[in-house]
Amino acid sequence: MWADDSETKILYVQTHGMDDPGRSATPFFLAASAAAMEFEVMIYFTMYGPSLLRKDVVDKIGPKGDQGQPLRYFVEQATNLGVRLLVCQPSLDLNDLRLDDLIDGVEMIGGAAFNDLAVSADAVISF
Amino acid sequence: MPEPSAQAADQVLDCTGLACPLPVAKTAQAIKNLALGQTLELLATDGGVEPDMRAWCSRTHNELVGITKQGDVFHVLIRRMR
Repeated sequence: MWADDSETKILYVQTHGMDDPGRSATPFFLAASAAAMEFEVMIYFTMYGPSLLRKDVVDKIGPKGDQGQPLRYFVEQATNLGVRLLVCQPSLDLNDLRLDDLIDGVEMIGGAAFNDLAVSADAVISF
Repeated sequence: MPEPSAQAADQVLDCTGLACPLPVAKTAQAIKNLALGQTLELLATDGGVEPDMRAWCSRTHNELVGITKQGDVFHVLIRRMR
């Protein structure tokens, strides 16, 4: 799934969801920085993570609550730089979500693909 | 509005007041609008901009010509090398 074997690759893992907004934005900051460094970057949302990508959540929460930018701003900052967003079916089920409930562009993978991405990445960083 | 340095850059990118990762992200986009060999002057107030831009230039193989600080504003001069 990595597009280019020759690029430096970082896989971020976000396990926290919409109930913990203070932990929502940092993976997007770091992913955006990595993409700006011309690294290939993906963020895998598992456990409660997929709830951050809900269409009806990204404009309602932000890392500082009612102050500052909504989460959508940080998501788009990352995706506009080429960061790819991944989820898996069991995590969608855990959060009673379907892929259609999430913002556009989120890709579905499974455990084997995740493990393959992890062992071929230069770094895996989990939150 | 901060003043650019005396050493004229081909383009100035004002990121004063913007927090990480915006200075890095905007620099990555802005440098693509320059020809090889041209320079970009980034103006930024984020406290991490110096180590960030050193890492960014090293990783992207662009030349960090120099960093100066005037008041609260870092002036980062970068030459597009690739």
